[in-house]
Amino acid sequence: MENLLANSPETRTQPAALNGATPVLRLTNIEKVYQTKTIETVALNQVNLAINRGEFVSIMGPSGCGKSTLLSLMGLLDEPTSGVIELDGRAVTSFSDKELANLRNLKIGFVFQSYHLINDLSVVDNVEVPLLYRKGMSSKERRQRALTALDKVGLSARTAHFPGQLSGGQRQRVAIARALAGGPEIILADEPTGNLDSVMGEEIMELLMTLNRRDGVTVVMVTHDEQQALKTQRVIRFFDGSQVS
Amino acid sequence: MFRHLFTLIWNRKRANLLLISEIFFSFVVLFGVAAVLITSAKNYLAPHGFNYEQVWRLEVRAGQNLKMPRAELDDVLRQVKALPGVRTVALTSGNLPFIFNVNNSVYEYQGKKSPVTNYYDADDHYNEALQLHLREGRWFAPADDGSNHRPVVISQDLRESLFGNGPALGKIFTWENPGKDVKPEDQFQVVGVAEPVRMESDFSAAIPTAWLRLLPYDTTHWETANVLVRVAPGSGGELQEKIARTVAGVTRQWTSQVRVMDDERLHRRRYTLVPVVGLCIMGLFLIINVALGLFGVLWYNISQRRAEIGLRRAMGATGAGIGWQFLGEMMVVTTFGVVLGGLLAAQFPLLNAFDLPVQPYLLAIAAATGAVYFITALCAWQPSRLAAAIQPAVALREE
Ligand SMILES: Nc1ncnc2c1ncn2[C@@H]1O[C@H](COP(=O)(O)OP(=O)(O)OP(=O)(O)O)[C@@H](O)[C@H]1O
Ligand SMILES: [Mg+2]
Repeated sequence: MENLLANSPETRTQPAALNGATPVLRLTNIEKVYQTKTIETVALNQVNLAINRGEFVSIMGPSGCGKSTLLSLMGLLDEPTSGVIELDGRAVTSFSDKELANLRNLKIGFVFQSYHLINDLSVVDNVEVPLLYRKGMSSKERRQRALTALDKVGLSARTAHFPGQLSGGQRQRVAIARALAGGPEIILADEPTGNLDSVMGEEIMELLMTLNRRDGVTVVMVTHDEQQALKTQRVIRFFDGSQVS
Repeated sequence: MFRHLFTLIWNRKRANLLLISEIFFSFVVLFGVAAVLITSAKNYLAPHGFNYEQVWRLEVRAGQNLKMPRAELDDVLRQVKALPGVRTVALTSGNLPFIFNVNNSVYEYQGKKSPVTNYYDADDHYNEALQLHLREGRWFAPADDGSNHRPVVISQDLRESLFGNGPALGKIFTWENPGKDVKPEDQFQVVGVAEPVRMESDFSAAIPTAWLRLLPYDTTHWETANVLVRVAPGSGGELQEKIARTVAGVTRQWTSQVRVMDDERLHRRRYTLVPVVGLCIMGLFLIINVALGLFGVLWYNISQRRAEIGLRRAMGATGAGIGWQFLGEMMVVTTFGVVLGGLLAAQFPLLNAFDLPVQPYLLAIAAATGAVYFITALCAWQPSRLAAAIQPAVALREE
């Protein structure tokens, strides 16, 4: 696989990351334009950035400046209008739906502001969802991994509960366990504390920092909270679709 | 994945109750329609057990308050039989094949009762006219005049119910609950056994049948005589007119009418088909209704679950995978409805309702199952494709 990618022109022309290793994610000249019947919205304009392995990066900017759009591009959920996205040094342009889905499953964990838990599934079943899409994994292993992930977020005692029976903070911890269960290289979190009060938000922030420090998971987090952003290693600021710092 | 879908449906059983009951309902309707259709088709394909072709029904009527003495009636029969093109004539009762006229009763042999049985009066030439298939014994003959009992020929199904595997020929049975001192003409002695017959319509099942020999009779009080006339192939209106003239030639006061048995069969067939077709159309409308309902519910479900779809895509599902998931969920829901409907439908053969054979019911259950899965898959197809096409980034942004 690595050899295939060595031939792609993008990899050769890109400058190496600061520390010499290939960044987990690299975005080059990214542009995202939303075209509706009446108007054209430029959500992202000439974005260039690299996320290194093991980094904890926060993304800040006013509402509507394109943070969520950036995250869904990083998460391979959407395609840029132009520009190149590389995951682990591989340009994902022209990948099929199936290949993209597989990459999301293997390498990326998502955490959302509104948790997006499936209310009709128990906590442990929710955490197993990403593992359902992994080929050849036995149900026993799925369960084992889900329980381990729940243990990491301190929810071992709540595995049989349903999302409706949990507090907001607990729900977000379930969502983080779900993001962790598949053993991703990178967690993309879009305002993970946006729906939580400051105490629970703090808990979630601590959890993400622990995962980053202890397990070496790369985290990219969108936040509106200046305090939280300051705790991360790097803050990327956006304004109106462009990176300002 | 299947287990996951099952868990999902099970946890949502309350929300899915409407769908499940609609499917259950459709299953039951389809089962009913299929049972009727399969039974009708099976009957249609079975032999009639007699030959209705080139047989005419001659109805001879004496006018009101007029007598029909045996001698003159015999004269009519003799002269009609003598016409070129007429093969045989036979005197029988008014309940001829394919017309709406039934005589039935229950018979009894040594305390064993028969199912409801059609019975016909028949003379010695009846079998030449209708060409039954005799399996045992013989048809009536003039020698039977000396019998102390009333000779009968019975159908195989009546034979089985009264005599099982034991011998039947020579045995004597009666009407049910005969009491003491049974008159000789009510003691029926079996002289022959015929293959089962289907004389009511092309779609009716074989009914146990007994042919009772017309006793040497006094016909003076008869108003109508029913005569079976077997004719040569190709006989038509000309011969019918000749027969009418022949009857009028014997006595001017009698009238007659000739009908072709095959025409009466076709007429009866149309009559029998009407309710079947009606049932099918009704079933079709119900199913269309249910299908539209399913379609709507699925559509609504998917719009309610856009976030979940986006989430699953983010977790590694492909668009096609989402489509299959929704189709699969529908199949699981269908399975619940089909299992419930199947449990109900299985009661029919288990409780032996309507006294019908088991096989058509089983076929009907299989047909209804197949049809329900087909319909639900069809209804789920478009909504599932819709689900597959949902953009995850857009779906996750909502809420
Ligand atoms: N599907 C879409 N169609 C059209 N325009 C869109 C679509 N998605 C996003 N946009 C527009 O793109 C711009 C960026 O949206 P985005 O959601 O990325 O902002 P954001 O920085 O995440 O905002 P917030 O902080 O409020 O979450 C906005 O102007 C938005 O209206
Ligand atoms: Mg946003």
